[in-house]
Formats: sequence, C-alpha cells, structure tokens
Amino acid sequence: MPKIIKLKISGMEFTANEGSTILDLARANSIFIPTLCNFKGLSNVGACRLCMIEIRGVPRLLPACATLVAEGMDVTVDSPKVTKYRKMILELLFAERNHVCAVCVSNGHCELQSLAQQLGVNHTRYPYRYPIYKYDASHPKFNYDANRCILCTRCMRACEEVEGARTWNVMGRGINSMMVTDLNQPWGQSLSCTSCSKCVHVCPTGALSEKNCAVGEMMPRKNVIPYLTSMRYSGR
Amino acid sequence: MRIHDLDGLHDIRRTGMMKILPGKPRIGVGMGTCGIGNGARDVMNSLAEALKKQSVDAQLTPVGCFGFCAVEPLVSVHIPGFPLVVLSQVAPDDAAMIVKAIASNRPPVEKALCKIEEWDHLTGHVMYGRGLPDLPNWNEIPFFKNQKKIVLRDCGLINPEDIEEYIAVGGYHAFYQATQKPNVNEIVEEVKKSKLRGRGGAGYPTGVKWDLLRKAVADQKYIICNADEGDPGAYMNRNEIESDPHMLIEGMLIGAFAMGATQGIVYLRAEYPLAVHRLKRAVAEAREFGLIGEHVFGTNFNFDIKLIEGAGAFVCGEETAMIESLEGRAGRPHPRPPFPAQKGLWGKPTNINNVETWCNVPVIIARGGSWFAEIGTTHSSGTKVFSLVGKIKNTGLVELPLGTPLKSVIYDIGQGSPDGKRVKAVQSGGPSGGCIPATHFDVAIDYESLAQIGAIMGSGGMVVMDEDNCMVDVARYFVEFSHSESCGKCVPCRAGLEQALRILKKITGGSAEESDIQDLEELAQMIKEMSLCGLGQTAPNPVLTTLRYFRRDYEEHLRTRRCRAGVCEKLFLSPCENSCPLHMRIPEFLELTKRGRIADAAEMIWLDNPLPGSTGRICQHPCESQCRRKSVDAPVNMREVHRFISDQIFAGPLLAEIKMRLAGRRMAATGKKIAIVGAGPSGLSAAFYLALLGHDVTVFEAREEAGGMLLYSLPQYRLPKAVLRLELDVIESLGVKFCFNQKLAAGVSLDVLEVENDAVFLATGTWKAMTAGIPGEESPSVWHAIHFLEQVARKEPTNIGKKVIVIGGGNAAVDSARTALRLGCDVTIAYRRERQDMPAIAEEVDDAQAEGVKLMFLVSPQRVVSDERSRITGIELMRTKLGDFNLDGRRRPVSSGETIIVPCDNIILAIGERPDVEPLRRSGIHVRENDTAAADWVTYETNRPYVFAGGDLVTGASNVSSTMATGKNAARAIDGILTGQDHFADLLKTVDVPQVVPAEPEGGARHTSPELPADQRKSHFEETILGLTKENAIAESSRCLRCDVHEPCAVKG
Repeated sequence: MPKIIKLKISGMEFTANEGSTILDLARANSIFIPTLCNFKGLSNVGACRLCMIEIRGVPRLLPACATLVAEGMDVTVDSPKVTKYRKMILELLFAERNHVCAVCVSNGHCELQSLAQQLGVNHTRYPYRYPIYKYDASHPKFNYDANRCILCTRCMRACEEVEGARTWNVMGRGINSMMVTDLNQPWGQSLSCTSCSKCVHVCPTGALSEKNCAVGEMMPRKNVIPYLTSMRYSGR
Repeated sequence: MRIHDLDGLHDIRRTGMMKILPGKPRIGVGMGTCGIGNGARDVMNSLAEALKKQSVDAQLTPVGCFGFCAVEPLVSVHIPGFPLVVLSQVAPDDAAMIVKAIASNRPPVEKALCKIEEWDHLTGHVMYGRGLPDLPNWNEIPFFKNQKKIVLRDCGLINPEDIEEYIAVGGYHAFYQATQKPNVNEIVEEVKKSKLRGRGGAGYPTGVKWDLLRKAVADQKYIICNADEGDPGAYMNRNEIESDPHMLIEGMLIGAFAMGATQGIVYLRAEYPLAVHRLKRAVAEAREFGLIGEHVFGTNFNFDIKLIEGAGAFVCGEETAMIESLEGRAGRPHPRPPFPAQKGLWGKPTNINNVETWCNVPVIIARGGSWFAEIGTTHSSGTKVFSLVGKIKNTGLVELPLGTPLKSVIYDIGQGSPDGKRVKAVQSGGPSGGCIPATHFDVAIDYESLAQIGAIMGSGGMVVMDEDNCMVDVARYFVEFSHSESCGKCVPCRAGLEQALRILKKITGGSAEESDIQDLEELAQMIKEMSLCGLGQTAPNPVLTTLRYFRRDYEEHLRTRRCRAGVCEKLFLSPCENSCPLHMRIPEFLELTKRGRIADAAEMIWLDNPLPGSTGRICQHPCESQCRRKSVDAPVNMREVHRFISDQIFAGPLLAEIKMRLAGRRMAATGKKIAIVGAGPSGLSAAFYLALLGHDVTVFEAREEAGGMLLYSLPQYRLPKAVLRLELDVIESLGVKFCFNQKLAAGVSLDVLEVENDAVFLATGTWKAMTAGIPGEESPSVWHAIHFLEQVARKEPTNIGKKVIVIGGGNAAVDSARTALRLGCDVTIAYRRERQDMPAIAEEVDDAQAEGVKLMFLVSPQRVVSDERSRITGIELMRTKLGDFNLDGRRRPVSSGETIIVPCDNIILAIGERPDVEPLRRSGIHVRENDTAAADWVTYETNRPYVFAGGDLVTGASNVSSTMATGKNAARAIDGILTGQDHFADLLKTVDVPQVVPAEPEGGARHTSPELPADQRKSHFEETILGLTKENAIAESSRCLRCDVHEPCAVKG
C-alpha cells in the first residue's frame, strides 16, 4: 500500500499516492495544467515546459509532469507568471514552423490549436520563421508533415516504448532538430516501421496523419496507447 | 612495479625525488598545449641540442604549465644549491645562452621571471635552495602575488608523464591514507567538513553529493569525471589534466573508495588531444603501479577508469545529457528526478563531479577538511582556478582563495588592459555567465556574491573586455553560441533562443525598434525560468546582465543607430568617424584633400563641424586612438589635416566660396524662432545647424563676445582669437543673430524666451570653479584657472607674481601653467597621481615641460602658507602614494603622512568647474545631483516642453568636440520636433567621394606640424604649432586606409 501524501493545489487540499506526480494528481482531479509532450502511457520527457507550476517556498518553477508530490506542498498551477510564460511558449511554437490551421488535416482536433484557444493566444509577438520543410508522403498509409511538427517526441516514444520498432528519432539539434524515420530515409522505405499507426494517433498536431484525410478529417485515437500500456502493467 | 603497501609507495617516492632533484642541473620546459602553441617544443629541441653540443650533463624534462600564459614559453632551471629559476618568453635562440650558464654552474638569470626557493606541494615539500637575492620570489611578482595554489600545486613543476614524480611530491599518499580508514564514512565526512563545493559552476556541496551515492544500494555504482570543458575562453580543466593528470586519478580513486564505486569514467573533450594522451598514459601508469585494478593496496577495493572522448557538444557538460551520451545516445538532458545518484549511467547510481572538484580531494584528505575549510570564505571554501583572458595584460591561469575581490584579479594580478584602455567589464562563467561591469569589480568572487549580481562562478572562464567591446555584440555572441549548442529538446531554449538571437541581430544590425528591448528582456527571463536544463536556464544570463548593467549600450544602438565601441559594423562608417563625437566623415575629407579638392573637403568639414579651425587645433582627437593605420606604423594625423584645410580657407579667397556654398544649402525659411542661451561651442553649433535648417536663430550671451570657453579660457598660443572670429563670421553669415551682455535670469528670463520663441536651447557652460577646501584658499593670490585664463584673455593685468604652483592635471592646469610661464613666472604643476594618469592631452604636457614648466607628482594640497601680512609664501603639500584601485581602474591616491612646503607667491587651482544651475532650478528645470541640467541624452530635451539643454551644462566639464556634438544633436532634435521631419541626412549630403581602398599603405611616415622651438615660444602668446605644409597635408591624407569603404575589393575610380 503506497504512502498517502497530503498537499494543496490552488488552495484546495488533496491526497495522492507517494510517487505520483503533480500532473497525475491534477488530471485525476480535473485541474487544468496544459501539456503537449506528456502522454499517458509514455515516458516523461519534460520538453514542452507548458506544465510549469509554482510551489510555495521553492524559488524556481517546476514541471508538474516530473515533480513528485510531497507532504505539505502548496502548488499554484496558474499564477499570472506561468500563464504568461505558457502563452509565450505557444507563441514560440506557432512562430517556429508553419502552422496553418485552415488547411490542416487536424483542424479542430489539434492539441496545439485548442491550447492556444484555451489560453487566449490569438496572435504571436514573434515573427514567423517560415522555414521550408519536407512533406513525407512516401508511406502507403500515413503522411508526415514536418511543417506541423512541434518536436514533442510522442511518436518516437510510442514507437520505441510500446511498439518497440524505434523507427522515429530526432536528427540535428537546436532549432534544426527534426523528427526522422530510420536514418532520415523516406518513411515509406523504412525497414523498421511496422505501420502500426501508434505514432499517428499520439501526434498532438497534424504532423502525422492518415492518408486520404481532408482538412479537419484526421481523428486521432488517443486512447489506444493508454489502453495498451495499462493492459501491459496489469498483466505483469 | 606494483605498489602493495606504504613501503612500496615510499620506495617510489625516493626514486621520484631523485628525478626532481637529480643532483645535477634540471631543465623543465612548460609543455602544456599553451606552451607548445607558443613554441615550447622548439625550445625543448634546441635545449637538447645545445646540451649535446656543449656536452653539459643536465636533465631535460617536459613539465606542465606554470600558469602565466602571457609570458610563455616558460622554462624552469634548477642547479643544485640554487633556487629553481623560472625563465619567461624563452626563444629557441636562448638555448645556447641558458646551457652556457648552466655549464658554468650559474642560473641563467638573464631571462628570469622569478625564483622558487622551496615549494609546498601540500602533499609534499621540495626544497630547491636559497640565494639569488636580486631575483624576486615567485609570489612577489604581481601575477602570482595574491594566488594560492592548491589545485595547481604541482603544475609546471613535475613531469606530468611520470607517475614517480607525482608520488615524489606526496602523490597517492592521501589515497593510501584513505584506504586505511576503518570506516569509509570518515572520508565522506572529511569532504563534508572541507565544505568543498562543485567546481563545475553550480556549487553543490560535494560531500553531500558523495553521501548520496555512498548510501545508495546497488550492485554497481559509477563515478564520472566531467571534463567536457567547452566554454569559450576557459581552459582550466585542460591544463589541470595536462599538467597533473595523476591528481585527478587520485581524487577519483579516493571518491570511488569512499562511495563504493567500482568503475570510473572520465568524459573528456576530444578536442583536447594532449590532455587525452596524458590522461591515458597516466591511467596506464597507475594501473601498472597497481593503484588502479584489483585489490589495490591489498584491500578488497577494485576500481578501473575508462576514458571516453566527448564529441564536443556543450550540452554534454550537463550531467543527464552526459549520461545519455555515455550510453551511446545523442546528448540530450532529461528531467530530474530521478537524479543520477538514484538512477544514473545504465540505470545505476552515479556520481558526477568536475575535474577541479576531484583535484581538490587528495589535498583535503592529506591536510584535513578543516584545513581546507579555513581557506576562502565561510560558504565558499578553498580556491578556484580561473582562466584570465581577453583585454588583459597578464593572461593566464589564476588560482585564488574564494572571496578575493574581482578587482584584485583584474588590476593586481591581471595588471589591467594591455594598451592602457579602460577595462569595461568581465564576462565570468562563459555562455552561462554574466557580464560584470567595472563598477561592480569590488564584488567578492564566491558562489553567492556572483549570483547576486547576475553572473555565475561557472567553471572559471574570465573574459576581460574594454571600451572596444560592444556589450550588445557580446550578448549576441554568447546567445549565438548557446543557440547553436542547444540540444533542441525543450521549447524555451530551442525556439526561445532563436527569437532572442533574432532580436539581438536586429539590434546589432541597426534595424531594431524600441519595443525590441522589452521583448528581449521578457523572452530572456522566460527562457531562464522555463528551460529544462542548465544550458537553457543560464543561456540568457549574458543578455540579462548586459541589459542590467549596459542598457545604455542597447539604447545607443536603438536610438542613435550607433555602436560606440565600433564593433557592430552596420552602425558606423569607420573607427575614426565613430570615435569622433561629431562623427566627422574623416576618411572622405582626407580622400578629397589627397585629390587636392580643398573646397569640397572644406565644405564637408564645415557641414560636420562648424568650428573647424578651433577643433583643428585643440581637439582631444579620439580618432587617433582608433586609427587602424596604427597597426602599420602610426595613426593618421587627422586633426592637423583638418586644421590645414580650415587654414587654407581662412587664408584666401576660398572663404567667400565656402560662405556661398553654405548659404546655398540653407533650407527654406520655416518661420520658427529659436533662442539659444550661451555662445560657447555647443550653442554656436546648435545655432549653425538650426540656421542651415531654415530657422530664425538668436543667440544670447552673457559676455560681450561669442566663443565661450574657446575665447575666454583657451590661451591665444593654442587658439588664436583671429581664427575663432573668422569661424564666427561664417556662422553669422548664415543669419544667426547675437545679443551680447545678456545673462540668463539677470538679463534675459527663460519665461520670456519661451513665449517669444518656438524653442529654447540652453548651453550656459561650466563657469563655476570648484574649490579645494583647503585653509587659505580665499586669498586673492589663489586663483581659479578659468578666472586666471579669462583675465589673461581679456588682456587685463594679473600681477601673478614670480613663483606659481598650479594644482591639477587637466588641460586647464596645463593651459594655466603655460600662460603663467609666458607672463614670466616660474611654474610648477602639482598633481596627485602620476604623469600617465593626467587627463590633459599628452602632447600639451610634453610642450609645457619643454617650455620649462616643472611637474610634481603624487602630491595633494593641504593648506596655503601665508606670512604675517597675509601674503602667500608657499603651499603645504601632502605626499601621496597610489593605493587601491578605484572602480574606474585608476589607483586611489592616499596620503603618506609626509608633508612638504613648496615656496610660491601665487597658486592656481585647476581642479574642475561646474555649471551654475541656480537660474535653471529657479525656472523649474530638473537638475541632477552633480549640478548638471537633466536632459535626454539623445534629444537634449529638458522636463520643460520645447526647452532643450546641452553642452557642459548637461555633461559637466568635457571637451570641445563632445560639447559641440550636444549642440549638433540638439539642433537635429529641435528641428525634428518643430517640423516633424528629419532633415539632417539631406543637409549633410555632399559631393560624391571616390570609394577607393589603397592597395598598399601610402604616404610614408606620419607627418607632424612644425612647432616653434620651446625657447622661442615661451615668452609670448603667438601660436606655437604652425600647421602642416600643403605637400605634407596631402601626403598625410593619403596615409588613410579608407576603413569607411565597406565593400571588399572595391577598387575603382
């Protein structure tokens, strides 16, 4: 029986199992903390930095996804500062690549889009970079549009941790980072890809989609991975 | 050669000592990468050859680096019976001499830097010998004086490729001691007691970290040495490994033993080939001697060290990224927890420490934790090695007790900037650190104090910058570095640094808007607080600290589109043009002069500077200090060419043409009326430009003639009044009206001026003399320089007496002295600092001295000595000595207690002037604490609408070109506000100038103006400097290298 921890989030008292994260607890209690890289059933990378929260007495902001609950914590999930920073991060993402919702297969089902709506981001103060990126339509069943990728690496983790194929990886570094299949070969020529579609269904944006989707028609099945992983753990 | 026990260790110790003190001469050549780069290998070879040739029996051995990079290659020579002598800047040619000296059993003191009589290796002790009293001890020379060598205890003294020499100075004894402790906990406790903190920069207590791993339960534990040193300008770790690899190995052995680790890994930059080589060799030696391996010293302790070469990614210095890299993946950090001590390399508990942290460990075990804790401060114990580089005279590796003030590093050890320029800032901690401005140099170097001012200790890089460094560009440089080293995993660092870099490039490229600064600041703060790892969290530090301490640099780039330092090349034409307060197009007028187009050159000069004859004589010529011709031979004599052109105009018919050309440029009348108060250089400049811009300008002047300080304070022999009157004539010809004998408040009120005019420009100057505050200074025979000079300028009798003492070191002091000399006095200038500290123009001081003015230095006035009839008989001066460094980088004069009385009958105080701000205060204009008018530094607007203020009234006493620049810039702002447009670019447009870069430097050596010989000039007020001849002026003009032509290879015309 795990130890029970008592703590406060946004002034309300909660109890949680020792070893769970603040994000787990918040989700279980319907407290909104925005995330883009975190995905239930996949490992935690703490890369999007949207879930940063404040804890009383801690001088730094901490990621809710990687911070474990501790006795007596007093957590603020939506202080003016983190709200401001979260908006800046979304703006930076929009300016980084070519996110054009009007022509996107995931319009209406996009996590980046809906977070922007939820946080009230209706413009970006940073100029668009308009990079020129490839559109890989070589796979018989799926498309990869790097213009819409936010480098959350969910696809990579789903492929590695659940499917075990390790088709996806990150090439380059910094602003030149790029999701690639195999050693930057066209997806359709990948020898490792099992065409299982897990990556497509965890993608938060329209970067990965099923073929033959028109605008707004890509409907990701986000419950597949959580289901698979929970089955796996319960079977152990 | 396996060592099994203490006896074995002692045996090796004896053999090793026979190598360090072989009973015959030993020559050590500093063969670090730094030494080799400076030619140490050639020195080594020639020494070997010379030894052979002269058949001298001596031991020649490579040693590590002794730290003083500025004077490499370093060679140490020890002859039995003498101290060890350290030779500096040894060239291969010196080998014969050195060997010859050794052959005659005499240390080669010719090239000696210092001597070492005995050396405390902390783990051991070497006695070299006493003697050579004339040679300073190593810790008596400035570079080493305040240093304390703990980490660098062996560096430069032992052969890094010989384990026996390391053991000879007590090496591996601490490790032996550690293995004999009944409880390993004692070792960890000792480290805790030492209060050692991580030397990689973050400063986490090492003992606490060790305890975590010690307590972790696992079948396998790892310890890692972080040697992935990658900050620009930092090379401490490289040198530590190159010069003394065994201290690192010993530190790791002790750590492994204490924490129960069986595998050690050194993650070392592949770009350090020598360090890789030496460490590999050292590990092999240690294995051979049984110090690494199984059952070390007969215990159950098994340990091995593996060396992994990092591929050079900066982010791999971050411990979680390093672990990823060691596991064969791309180096990208991951969030903590889990911490490496819980789940590190291959999922096993792991401890990671920096090279320098490990290197401290053997000493802590050998000498005890409490011994170590006493060094440094309470919270930051021990020492830290810094690499001192950049614009500093003594570059090198410096090891200091923590808590040492930064200024002691810069000025005492580093000896300031190499070319006498003022040190502006220190960048500490590399791309993660901050820029510390000179005003904060009294900060103590420890973790907390540095963090408090926004910088970090970092791994120890210290890059010194002077006034030629643009702080915006520095921020851009470091952000560009972090941007390209960002792993790309988290959004703030990946996309945020991209946008921050874009803004910085906009600023340095001259296309930024004022809102960009705020965007940059917000973004930087966000990246700092939101990033995943240390790289992103610290990458904005260079931006945040420069914004905090050098905001004016940023604002200058934005508001005036200028880079004062002359770095951001889109923001200036040439170094000379940029350094000129008036931004005269110097290369262009030189080009026109070279082609004989005197009238065109004159027109351009006038448009840039309405008082060319005066400035051509008395300007401080900052242009020369920036002239790139200096790197060929000597700077172009720009001021004299400038004067030559104005003299040509005033001498002949061209004057009428210039007047006509200028009048032809006058823009259509705007109908706006502008009043200018004060007809000094600032007011006259404003009047000139405003008249050209079509405004109706009236100048109100308190005295009976225009010219201000130029007329009433500058002696005739430097600036003949006739020249000034001709210049005034040109200004008047543009329609500027003058009202004399109108003093502000007394004669003319600001309220009335405001009503009658569209704008008012106040430039009333600094006419209030400062007092020395010494008893007796109210005597009528104690003069203030400006009053004395004015009286002489008015040709009124002064009855100055026979023997005069001038107090001060500025131009006013030198002018007063030379003037008094011409009135027949015996003159001495008394200054409280030294000659090189005098603010006066250096040539003027030379001239004064040539004429017979005597100079006294390091004295400050105490009281005026008078006789019973209140006649002055002398002045009592306190002898001063130069003490501590001020924050402006000059030594503070402190009294020595010894006073002298110098007989004299008159005293001239030339210790500064201030503006009279009372009339302004009464008119409700804000005045700053230092009694200057508060005005915007770009537009010169005061708090009262349409009232502007400029000149010395705003800046405090300055010089002619700076004060004219305020008038020029104010004119531009006034015109802008009144007309809503910027007409300046149109106004200044002149003829096309050929854009040709000379293929080879032309014009020969620098030409100077002939001067009247000192004995012929000291008795009258005739001009002393006669001006260039036409041939020389043209030749001098052709010496210009045309730095203003930016297109490469634009050879045309």
